[in-house]
Amino acid sequence: MNGPILVVDDEPDMCWVMECILRSQGFEVVTVDSGEEACNQLANRDFFFVFMDAKLPDMDGLDVVRHAHAQRPGTVRVVLVSGYHYHDDPVIRQAIDENLICGFLAKPFTHSDLLKALPTS
Amino acid sequence: MKPMLDNDMSPNRFELLYGMLLDAIPSSVLLVDEKLHIVSVNRNFLLKSQRGEARTVGRPLAEVFPTIILENTDIERRIREVFRTGTSVKGQRMTYRAPGVPIRIYYYSILPIPTNQVMLLMEDVTEQVRLSEEVRRVERHLASVVESASDIVLSTDTEGRILTWNSAAEKLSGLSAHEVRGQYFFQFCGSNQQQTVRKVFMLMKSGNESHTTEFPLVTSNGDSILVSWVFSPMKDDYGQTVGAVVVGRDLAERRKLENQLRQSQKLAALGVMAGGIAHEIRNPLAVCYSAAEFLLMDNISTEFRNECSRKIQAGIQKASAIIENLLRFARPSPDTEMVQVDLNTVITDTLDLITNQARVQQIRIQLELEQRLVLVLGVSGLLQQVFMNIFLNAINAMPEGGLLSIVEEISEAEVAVRISDTGMGIQESDLDKIFDPFHTTSPIGKGTGLGLSICYSIVQQHLGSIHVQSSPGQGATLTVRLPLL
Repeated sequence: MNGPILVVDDEPDMCWVMECILRSQGFEVVTVDSGEEACNQLANRDFFFVFMDAKLPDMDGLDVVRHAHAQRPGTVRVVLVSGYHYHDDPVIRQAIDENLICGFLAKPFTHSDLLKALPTS
Repeated sequence: MKPMLDNDMSPNRFELLYGMLLDAIPSSVLLVDEKLHIVSVNRNFLLKSQRGEARTVGRPLAEVFPTIILENTDIERRIREVFRTGTSVKGQRMTYRAPGVPIRIYYYSILPIPTNQVMLLMEDVTEQVRLSEEVRRVERHLASVVESASDIVLSTDTEGRILTWNSAAEKLSGLSAHEVRGQYFFQFCGSNQQQTVRKVFMLMKSGNESHTTEFPLVTSNGDSILVSWVFSPMKDDYGQTVGAVVVGRDLAERRKLENQLRQSQKLAALGVMAGGIAHEIRNPLAVCYSAAEFLLMDNISTEFRNECSRKIQAGIQKASAIIENLLRFARPSPDTEMVQVDLNTVITDTLDLITNQARVQQIRIQLELEQRLVLVLGVSGLLQQVFMNIFLNAINAMPEGGLLSIVEEISEAEVAVRISDTGMGIQESDLDKIFDPFHTTSPIGKGTGLGLSICYSIVQQHLGSIHVQSSPGQGATLTVRLPLL
């Protein structure tokens, strides 16, 4: 699957961090800071991958993902990035079990953690 | 039958009449001659002493009365004295126990009569003595109740002069009952309260109501201790005020407990905020972590290196500010001294603490503060706790997100802060309970039910008021009113 990577986080510095890491690996990156904008982006174009903040000011990150799945089933691959949840958080486990997200990345993370979350294909 | 009393009264009839009269008297009457022999007795004496007339009349006193009574009362000497001086002996006490009957107590008088005899009049006062002993026992019991109370209990006359002063009053004030008796109670109140206290005594003269108030009691060493007082008028059987009862409770202990409770509730509130705090701190941590990793890379531009450094510094500062806010909130209020406080600062500082909790729950915050200093007399740490609790309640009422609005309004003498949410609202049946301690609709572990009761006590301490308005599904509005400086 082609297209840029979408980074969704309401904290501008978090977008800056992820953008820097991904660009250094040659990825094209689009950043947005709200759930609504994320929904718009996901509705209108294909993304290779999505890094989604769990808690956005207007929506819950998982709800954005649900919305995207409902609109274009099977096209969105998401890793949830959050300082709010922890690794074996029941909410995270359930989201993974439901195939809503394909992974979880806890803040703070190393650059290789972030890159490892990307699919190899 | 002929009537008892008619015109021709023979001496015989008189004797009969006097005998009947004597027998009708419910006291014992004995006539004794100079040799201390009994000349006559009435029926009451025979009954009480369980003796027959034949064994009594004409016998010496010493034979009729038990030796022990004769010895204890010295009655023979007293009778002789009456014969000698011609003056009566009145109101002496005698305990008499006839064989086979319970002990009886008599008051007796020895009265000279002109026939060269004396009359020994014995009145049975056993029942009266028993009653007065009962009265004394009840009195002693009441006195010991008052003495054992750990509250100050004192009584005054209608003018407010101290009559009694219990040991708790002695202990707390350092003044003995002896020192204060007869003094005006207001003299032991702080100078600002003396006028008020005099007024309370005035009101109690005519009124029935109790008066409740709080003011310091001045102790013997010039210190003052805060006491909560209840003044009650003391009424007689006709409803006239005959004095006053004043009960005072040392508030130091209660204040200490109140402070402990407030402190632990504050820490519980911090627990509720933990999620928001985690989110808030981990963002700057994540930025610092990554920026530091960038700095480790070779071949990065000076410009990028500088940017990384700036991000690290900003992130650390942010995390540290969050921690400082938390510390400030968690720390016990060092004193409860009321000082001039800007309410706007209190509100914005509190909002800073919960902004993230609101953000993770998709709650927007709308803040309308007066564009000037809003000065009140208060303890800023305590006021912060009030707003923190109300904000957190509002946030908890909106699990699906919503709007938290804070509107401040100034009127002549007070400031009103209205905190509204768009949450689930409060059931009508819960409305009058929400300020009760331990009333909670939260599941176990989510709320202690203490938050609003603590808000209530803090606002009250600041001489303000707190009201709630809500209907189910329509959100809730809490209004905090405080007097302006």
